Amino acid sequence: MNYQMIIERTRAYLCLDCGKCTGSCPLARVDLDYSPRRIVERVVAGEAEAVMASPQLWSCMTCGMCSARCPSNVDFARFIIEMRAEAFGLGERGIYAHNGILQEIMRIQTLEVHQDRRGWLTDDMRVSEESDTLYFVGCLPFFDVVFADLDVEATEIARSAVRLLNRAGIVPHVSNDERCCGADLLLAGDVDSFRRLAELNVEAITRSGAKQVVFTCAECYNAFRTDYPEYVGALPFEVTHLTELLAGHMNSGDLAFEPVPGTVTYHDPCRMARYLKVHEPPRQLINAVPQAHFVEMEDNRERSMCCGSTAWVNCSGCSKLIQREKLAQARDTGSRLMLTTCPKCQIHLRCASRDLAPEEKVRVEDVTSWLGRAIQG
Amino acid sequence: MEPFEPTILTFACNWCSYAGADLAGVSRIQYPPTTRVIRVMCSGRVSPVFILEALRHGADGVLVTGCHPGDCHYLSGNEKAVQNVEMARSLIQLLGIDPGRLRLEWISAAEGSRFAQLVTEFTDQIRELGANPLRNGHMGP
Amino acid sequence: MDGFESRRPQRIPQRRPWSITQQQTARGPGDDPRIGVFICHCGHNIAGYLDVAALVASARSLPFVVLAQDSLFTCSDAGLNQIRTAIAEHGLNRVVVASCTPRTHEPLFQSACDEAGLNRYLFEFVNIRDQCSWVHMEDGERATRKARDLIRMGVARAALLQPLTETELAIQPAAAVIGGGMAGMTAAGSLARRGFSVTLIEREPALGGSVRHLDTLYPNRTSARKLVEAQVAAVRAEPQIEVLTSAEVTAVRGSIGHFELEVESRQYRMKLPVQAGVVVVATGAEEWKPAGMYGYGHNPAVITQQELEERLSTGDLPPDLRSVVMIQCVGARDAHHPYCGRTCCLVAMKNAMILKEGNPACQVHVLYRDIEVYGTHFEDYYAQARELGVVFTRYTPDRPPEVVGDQGRAGDKQTPVPPGRVLVYDELLGATLAIPYDLLVLSTPMVPRPGARELAQMLKVPVDEHGFFLEAHVKLRPLDFATDGIYLCGSAHWPAHLDEAIGQALGAAARAATVLSKEQIRSSGIVSRVEESLCRGCERCATACEYGAIEFVDVTRSVEFLHRPMARGLETVHVKVARVNPMLCKGCGACAVVCPTSAMVASHFTGEQVAAMIRAALQAPAAMGEDHGTL
Repeated sequence: MNYQMIIERTRAYLCLDCGKCTGSCPLARVDLDYSPRRIVERVVAGEAEAVMASPQLWSCMTCGMCSARCPSNVDFARFIIEMRAEAFGLGERGIYAHNGILQEIMRIQTLEVHQDRRGWLTDDMRVSEESDTLYFVGCLPFFDVVFADLDVEATEIARSAVRLLNRAGIVPHVSNDERCCGADLLLAGDVDSFRRLAELNVEAITRSGAKQVVFTCAECYNAFRTDYPEYVGALPFEVTHLTELLAGHMNSGDLAFEPVPGTVTYHDPCRMARYLKVHEPPRQLINAVPQAHFVEMEDNRERSMCCGSTAWVNCSGCSKLIQREKLAQARDTGSRLMLTTCPKCQIHLRCASRDLAPEEKVRVEDVTSWLGRAIQG
Repeated sequence: MEPFEPTILTFACNWCSYAGADLAGVSRIQYPPTTRVIRVMCSGRVSPVFILEALRHGADGVLVTGCHPGDCHYLSGNEKAVQNVEMARSLIQLLGIDPGRLRLEWISAAEGSRFAQLVTEFTDQIRELGANPLRNGHMGP
Repeated sequence: MDGFESRRPQRIPQRRPWSITQQQTARGPGDDPRIGVFICHCGHNIAGYLDVAALVASARSLPFVVLAQDSLFTCSDAGLNQIRTAIAEHGLNRVVVASCTPRTHEPLFQSACDEAGLNRYLFEFVNIRDQCSWVHMEDGERATRKARDLIRMGVARAALLQPLTETELAIQPAAAVIGGGMAGMTAAGSLARRGFSVTLIEREPALGGSVRHLDTLYPNRTSARKLVEAQVAAVRAEPQIEVLTSAEVTAVRGSIGHFELEVESRQYRMKLPVQAGVVVVATGAEEWKPAGMYGYGHNPAVITQQELEERLSTGDLPPDLRSVVMIQCVGARDAHHPYCGRTCCLVAMKNAMILKEGNPACQVHVLYRDIEVYGTHFEDYYAQARELGVVFTRYTPDRPPEVVGDQGRAGDKQTPVPPGRVLVYDELLGATLAIPYDLLVLSTPMVPRPGARELAQMLKVPVDEHGFFLEAHVKLRPLDFATDGIYLCGSAHWPAHLDEAIGQALGAAARAATVLSKEQIRSSGIVSRVEESLCRGCERCATACEYGAIEFVDVTRSVEFLHRPMARGLETVHVKVARVNPMLCKGCGACAVVCPTSAMVASHFTGEQVAAMIRAALQAPAAMGEDHGTL
């Protein structure tokens, strides 16, 4: 097995046993048995098999907080992802949330499908197959179905994205041929399915002639920017997050917003916070909305705490404790509205807020949907 | 070349539909050998995941069967089945899979002939639709 | 006061030693599954159509199968011996039988496994007769192919089967009856006469319920007072019944076999524990007061039927009433209460006849929307009323009667003032009638008692949209709740005639006795279980459960200071996690479908087990390296 390769690639051999990883790990705070340091130590000490057989392998949220703090620059998230890939090959699986329905949806997309996924488009939106810009919608139409009980309003993100692009003078292509980005399968160890989805996506986008791909989902964006080049080669198109694109348009003065009164705060998704380090564009946009009062949470930007669940595996009571903490941080700002740029953070935090007492509830909404209201007046 | 022989996966609740399928046998009612029955306690146990899983692994049709409305052994399991199957139907429509490959039917313990007739009908319906395209390029776990 | 002679201080309910015992788990799976497959010829029934030899050969090549055999009749002594012997000789830890149908023969084969020391839930049935050989008699080759797939599916599932335990629970041979009206007293009496001790819990200081407020009962003018007195005396005389009046249920714990009710007694000024194996809900209903309608509440000449009954029984009515108008369906079959009050037509007829008989000169008008007098003697009752001269006039809900003019005299005998009038549009005449009244009587429907919803929540049983208790099945289980061990009768369920309420009470007592007469009950092993660390306490499972089998308990977890990222040290947080009561769970699996984290596991039909069958059904045999035999 390639444990030595994993140790080398992730620089795990440089671990100093300092424990900063465990000290900063949000999961370790609520699950006292969980320790990134011990996991690394065991593998380095030659006990990789035991780690692979342990349910703990699937609990890590890959939020990257540990790596951000690690003095030796050990890439623990990647270490976990690669260990999972090995374990997956041996038949091990994480505990699938929602009975594995999302994994099924993702894996079906590795096969011959001709999706019909644009039902959310409405007449007021302008889209074009000839466009240079492709808006990558991701799993949003599926989320609306799977999470109907949470009223996640996922496709509202997509509708707002197209309206915002239109307002910025861009008529995007929205394709039936896009597949799930596959990031959640990669994170859950299923590298083959991920690679297949990546190939299909790159092929479809290349075929569409798009020169630029815009994302609203932080995870899709990170998959394309970070993982795709590594697994399927350099991309023949540019990738950008909608907030980056819009912030650019705002600077050049061709985008303005109507007032949306109220106090808001912003949750940096792990992919934006630590993987891609895209911190300012969402904030610039929020601050550009008249009468919106923006307050930072205690932990923000690279210190932003995870939404508690990743890759649709091993969601648990511990996830909920992390989410409760995140929502408490939001309440501390005096706001009852937390914006974010990852639809999955939105789902996870809405799920947690659902169970809170009315006075503790925090509404979680995508920056895109919120901005969508700021252009509708 | 042999004519296309569909494979239909049937989920049958323990109390009504499975008993109905047995009655078809006791009554020696003949129907095509296209279906493979998976017994569950209640049609409400059939998670949308089971349906998607069956289609992903190449089932040409999925038939979910339960007690008639108002007759559920578990009071409202069949109402839950309606919701679950509808969720699966919405998902497979998004995925571009013909929703005609998925059916939800009520079959009582006394309806052996109805079970046989449904399998016969559904087999014909699936023959029209052809093989499940997901069989192509199948991979993964 | 009624409750003072109670034996409460002397008789503290004895806590019968009951316990939850788990059946000894027989041999579970070892490291690897060792599966034995037994394929039955069923004489000619299977072997006459399927190629059994080919099935044996293909079964033998399946993963984890260490033995595949056929036999003429697997259900015969010889066939069962073959299974028992093979379990011992081959160290089988899973058994698959491919034969007729689990609906008839699963218990037999499971017992054979039990006898050989193998947990009965490690047995898997494959139906190759009722659902294969008998329905594909013309096409043995394709039928054999199907049977081969079915066996492959069964083996795949068998490899993932887990031993399960059945829970046994001793039954506390006592009943708690909530509600001391006619229904509750009847149920309590019936159970006591069967030899079970009963605690009868009544909120009011006196037993008797709503019948206590009535004068006479239709259709035969029985005195309500005498009937109630007789029933109360019978209950009081029954040594097996302990009566708690001025007492209200404030909490319910436990479930079938061992309920523990906390009863707040105003009489003893303390909370009393009541232990019972079953609970009967007989909380009744009460008359709805139509505040503000037709002057009710401020016009003393406007009263309800129940108030009329009270005045009839106390004789507090003017002797020279000239005109009484009764309006039916007041607040019934409308936006207030969409249902029919059921009893009000007959109550109105009875009271109209009493008035008419007492004073034939008194005009009695009944304004109705529809008359409900079904059955063999109620229709006759209606005829009698008309014969006596009671006038029935139909109105429609779009033109309800109207009250005009001053009040009638009944409320104020001293001041003669011109009587008021009721205007009613008579469709047949096409004209509006103005009927003077001395007394206007409103027939209103019965409504659930206050606190019914709260009691339902304590018992974890449902109420319908009107707030009445909801039975498990309207036709098949009319006196049961879906939750085992709880039964209902009388008007708590729906406005009932007294004869219906008594019939239901006797029925509910009989249903309760089916449980109390057992020493113990045993759950199935097929019940859901919770992986506690995964549970988020979201309660979706409890919402999906029809049986109240899932409850949430507080557990504590130690966590590092959460809300102060830089702080160090531990604190305790409370989290809710689900618990399944195996005595109440029916194993339907609905909870597992809605659980977001897979914390809830539908035992014996787990996602993994079903998925394994799906994959096995659709796997090309070649992919499994399976021996095709002659196929």
